[in-house]
Amino acid sequence: MSSTEFDIKINGRTCTASKGETVFEVAAREGISIPTLCHDTRLEPAGACRVCLVEVEGQRRLEPGCAWKVSEGMEITTESDRIERHRKVLYGLYLADHDLDGEGLPVETANGNQLRELAQKTKPLALHSVDAPRVGRPEDVNPYIAFEPDLCILCARCTRYCDEVEAVNAITLANRGSETTIATAGMRGLLDTTCELCGGCIDTCPTGALIEKKSPDPLPADAKTVRSTCNFCGVGCQLDLHVVGTNGTSRVAKVTSPPPGETVNDGNLCIKGRFAYDFIHHEDRITEPLIRGEDGELHPATWDEAITAAAEGIGRVKEKYGADALGFVSSSRCTGEENYLMQKISRAVYGTNNIHQCSAT
Amino acid sequence: MQKKGAQRERILHLLEEEGGVTEDVVRRISLETGVPEADIWGTGLFYTLVSKPGKRVRVCDGLSCRIKGSDELFSKLRDAGKECEPVSCLGQCDRAPATLDEDLEQVCYGVEARGIVPDDPELPMNLGGPVRDSYSSLAKARETGSDAVIAEIEAAKLQGRGGAGFPAHIKWKGVRGQKETERYVICNADEAEPGTFKDREIILRQPHLLLEGLAIAAYAVEAKDICIYIRGEFTSERRMIEKALEAASEKISDFTWTIYNGHGAYICGEETALIESMEGKRGMPRLKPPYPTEYGFRGKPTLMHNVETAACVPAIVERGGEWFKDLGKTEPGTKLYCVSGHVNKPGVFELPLGVTLDELVEVAGGYDGEPVAFSPGGPSSGFLPISRRDVPLDFGHLSKEGSMLGSAGLVVLNDSVDMAKATGWQLDFFERESCGQCAPCRIGTRYLRRQVDSFIGEGDPDALEFAEDVGWEMEEGSICGLGMVAAKPLESAMKYFPEAFGSRSKQ
Ligand SMILES: Cc1cc2nc3c(=O)[nH]c(=O)nc-3n(C[C@H](O)[C@H](O)[C@H](O)COP(=O)(O)O)c2cc1C
Ligand code: SF4
Ligand code: SF4
Ligand code: SF4
Ligand code: FES
Repeated sequence: MSSTEFDIKINGRTCTASKGETVFEVAAREGISIPTLCHDTRLEPAGACRVCLVEVEGQRRLEPGCAWKVSEGMEITTESDRIERHRKVLYGLYLADHDLDGEGLPVETANGNQLRELAQKTKPLALHSVDAPRVGRPEDVNPYIAFEPDLCILCARCTRYCDEVEAVNAITLANRGSETTIATAGMRGLLDTTCELCGGCIDTCPTGALIEKKSPDPLPADAKTVRSTCNFCGVGCQLDLHVVGTNGTSRVAKVTSPPPGETVNDGNLCIKGRFAYDFIHHEDRITEPLIRGEDGELHPATWDEAITAAAEGIGRVKEKYGADALGFVSSSRCTGEENYLMQKISRAVYGTNNIHQCSAT
Repeated sequence: MQKKGAQRERILHLLEEEGGVTEDVVRRISLETGVPEADIWGTGLFYTLVSKPGKRVRVCDGLSCRIKGSDELFSKLRDAGKECEPVSCLGQCDRAPATLDEDLEQVCYGVEARGIVPDDPELPMNLGGPVRDSYSSLAKARETGSDAVIAEIEAAKLQGRGGAGFPAHIKWKGVRGQKETERYVICNADEAEPGTFKDREIILRQPHLLLEGLAIAAYAVEAKDICIYIRGEFTSERRMIEKALEAASEKISDFTWTIYNGHGAYICGEETALIESMEGKRGMPRLKPPYPTEYGFRGKPTLMHNVETAACVPAIVERGGEWFKDLGKTEPGTKLYCVSGHVNKPGVFELPLGVTLDELVEVAGGYDGEPVAFSPGGPSSGFLPISRRDVPLDFGHLSKEGSMLGSAGLVVLNDSVDMAKATGWQLDFFERESCGQCAPCRIGTRYLRRQVDSFIGEGDPDALEFAEDVGWEMEEGSICGLGMVAAKPLESAMKYFPEAFGSRSKQ
C-alpha cells in the first residue's frame, strides 16, 4: 500500500482506495456495480440523476456514489432496503416524466434506454404522469441529430459533454424546474449555432432522447458490430460499424464510437467519422482502380496496372519538363507514416521539393 | 471563449440592463463578453426577472398574500388592462397583498401593518431605535484582534439566522484556517423564504448594523472582499445599502464592497446556488462537500451569512458573547420573528429566542379570528396545529416537532382557510422554484402539486396514495435543502389535519 492508499469497506468487503477517488470508481474496480444515469467517465461528476445514491456510514442522507470522495475507513453500503425503496420511488418519478410503452416501461430507442433497463431490474412505483411542459426543437432541420424531450431525463450529460469535452457550448439547460429542457440559443436549429455536429451528445445520452436522424429505429437483433478505423483522417479513431443484412446485401446502418476508455478516441468522434458513412454504399463510389484509355473512357484495371500507368505518366512529365514541373499533394486522410512516404517519393524518387499535404494550410 | 471568470460574471447584469433575454440581446452580450451564446441563453432563462423582455406588474401569490386576496387583486389588475405575472413571496407579507409595479417598485394595495418592537437599547438589533452608525464595534474589533472577536462569537453561541441555525463561529474558524488568502465574505440578502421579511427591515432601518457586522466578519477571517447579494425585487433596499455604503465609506474603506443583484429565483438563497449566480451561471446548488468555507465564490474560501446573523455581530462585539447568549429564552440571543397571516398587526419583532406562538402573537396585536394552524418558518417548515402553540419557537424544539424555525417567517392561519388549498399553494411555490437539477425535486414537486390539485378537484383521497413515498424520496434523494423539505407542507398537513384530506365533494 502506498502512502496515499487506504482501506475502505464496501458492503462489508475491504477494498483498497486512494485519495481523490470516488466511491463509484473504487466500487467499479472491485466489480461492485452501482447504477448511474448522469455519469460519464469523461465528465466531472454532476451527482444530478440520484440513481447512484449509496449509504455512507455517518451521513444522515443517502449520498451520490459518482461524486462522493472516499476517505480512510469509510463504510459504504450499496444495497439495502433503504436503497431499494429509494430506487423504487426515484424510478417511479422518472417514469412519471417519461415516454412509456404499452407495458408502462420507458420506450426502447434506437440507442437503447438505460432507464428502461433500470426499471426492469427494480420495479418502479406506479405514479401518475406529471405531464411536464418541456419543449423540444421540432423545427430543427439539421440532418443528423434529433431531440425528443419526452425521453429526456435532464441528466445534462449532453450539455456537459458539449462544454467539457468538445468546448463548443452549442447546447444548454434552459428554463427552470419541471420546465427545464435542453436548448440552443434562440431555440435555433443546430446548423445555426456553434454546433460541430460531432454527435457526442447523442453518444453520451443514456435514454435515446438524442438520436441519429439517419437511423431512428432500433437495429434488428442480428445486426453485427464491426470494429474499424475511421479513414477520414490520420488520427485513426476507432469506429464500431453497425452492419445489418447478410453477405452481399449487408449495409452499414449506423456508426458509433467504442465506449470511452477503450480506444484512442476515448468515445469521441467527429461529424465525418460518425455521420459521413453514406459513401460506403454509394453508387458513385469507386471501388477499383480505373485507367483512362485512348477512347477517353475509364476502364477497370488491376492495382499493378494502375501504379505502372501512374509511374509512367509522372516519369514522362519529369523527362520533358524537369522534376520541378511535378507537385505531390497528399490527402488529409493519410496517416503520418503515409505522409512521410509521400514526401520520400517526391524528394528522393523524383527529386522535387514540391510536396504538400492538403490539411497543412 | 469565456466560460468562467470576470466576463461570465457580467452576463446577468448585462441581461438586466438590456431588459431581458431575446436572441439579439444574447448575441450582443456574447460578442461583448466572449461567453458562448447558449450559456447566456440558458442562464438568462433560469431567472424570472430577466427570462423574457418587457415590463409587467407582479402580484405575490405567497400564502400570506393569498389569504389576503391576492388572487382577486390579480384578476382586478389584469381586467384593468395591466400585464400581470404571479410572483413568489415578495417579502412584504406584512402589507399583503403585495405587488411590484413595472419597475419593480413595491405597491401596497393592502393595509401597511409593519409592526415593530419599540426602541429598546437593550436589543442587539433594536430596529425601532435610532440608526446606529458609529462603527464603534468595528473599531473595538480592530483593537482586540481576530481571535478575540471569534471567541466572542463563539461565546455568544450565535446560530446562523438564514435558516439552518449553524453555529457561526465554526464557519469563521473554517475560513480563517484556510491556506488560501484570497477570501470572500458574502452577505445573503436574497430573502425569499415565503413569510420572511426581516432582512428587509434590517436593511431599511439599521443598514449600518449590517455593514458593520460584515466588516467585522471580514476583518476576523482576513478577507478583503465583501459581497452583498440582494434579491432583485428589493429595489428600495438596494438603494438603502448604496446610501449607507456611501455614508460609511471612510470607516469601511479598507474592504472592497460589491452589490450583486438577484434576478428572480428563490433557490439562489441557497448558499451554493447564490455563488453560482454570482458567477453568472444558472442558480443550481452545488454538491456539498466541499463547503463554501473551503471552496466558495470563484473557488475561494467564503464566509456567507444571512443579513440578520451579520447584524447581530456588532452588539456581540460591543457587549460580549455572554451577554448576547443570555438574552435568549431557550436558545442564545434575540431573534427577529416575522409574523403575518391571521394576526392583527403583522410585522417583525425582535424577541428572546424561544418565545411561544402566543407570546409572539400577543406582541403582534393578537389573533385575527380563530387560529387553527401556523407555519413556523415558511413553507419549508410545513404546518403545525394550533395545539402546538406552546412549543418554544427555536431551532431545537421545532426540529423535534418535525418542523423547523428556518428563517422565522411565521404565518398564522384561522379557521377560514381550507388546509388542503393552503397546502396546494405551498407546493405550487416549490414546484415553481425548484431549480430542476435533480429528479426527486424536479419531478416530485410537480407530482405532489398535481396530486393535491387533483384531490381538491375530484375529492378522491386516492390521489394522495403515494404522497408519503414521494415525500420520503424527496427528502432522501434531493441535492439541496429545497427538495429535502418541499414535501413538508403536505406531509404535515396530512398528519395534523387529516379531516382536510378525507373524501370531499367535487369542485
Ligand atoms: C432553498 C434554500 C433557500 C435559502 N434561502 C435563504 C435566504 O433567502 N437567505 C438566507 O440568508 N439563507 C437562505 N438559505 C440558507 C443558506 O443556504 C445559508 O445556509 C445561509 O445563508 C448561511 O447564513 P447563516 O449562517 O447566517 O444562516 C437557504 C437555503 C436553502 C436550502
Ligand atoms: S453535436 Fe457535438 S457540438 Fe453539436 S451539440 Fe452535440 S456535442 Fe455539441
Ligand atoms: S438529452 Fe439525453 S443526455 Fe441530454 S439531458 Fe436529456 S437525457 Fe441527458
Ligand atoms: S433539490 Fe431541487 S432545488 Fe435543490 S438541487 Fe435538486 S432540483 Fe435543484
Ligand atoms: S409577500 Fe406575499 S406572502 Fe410574502
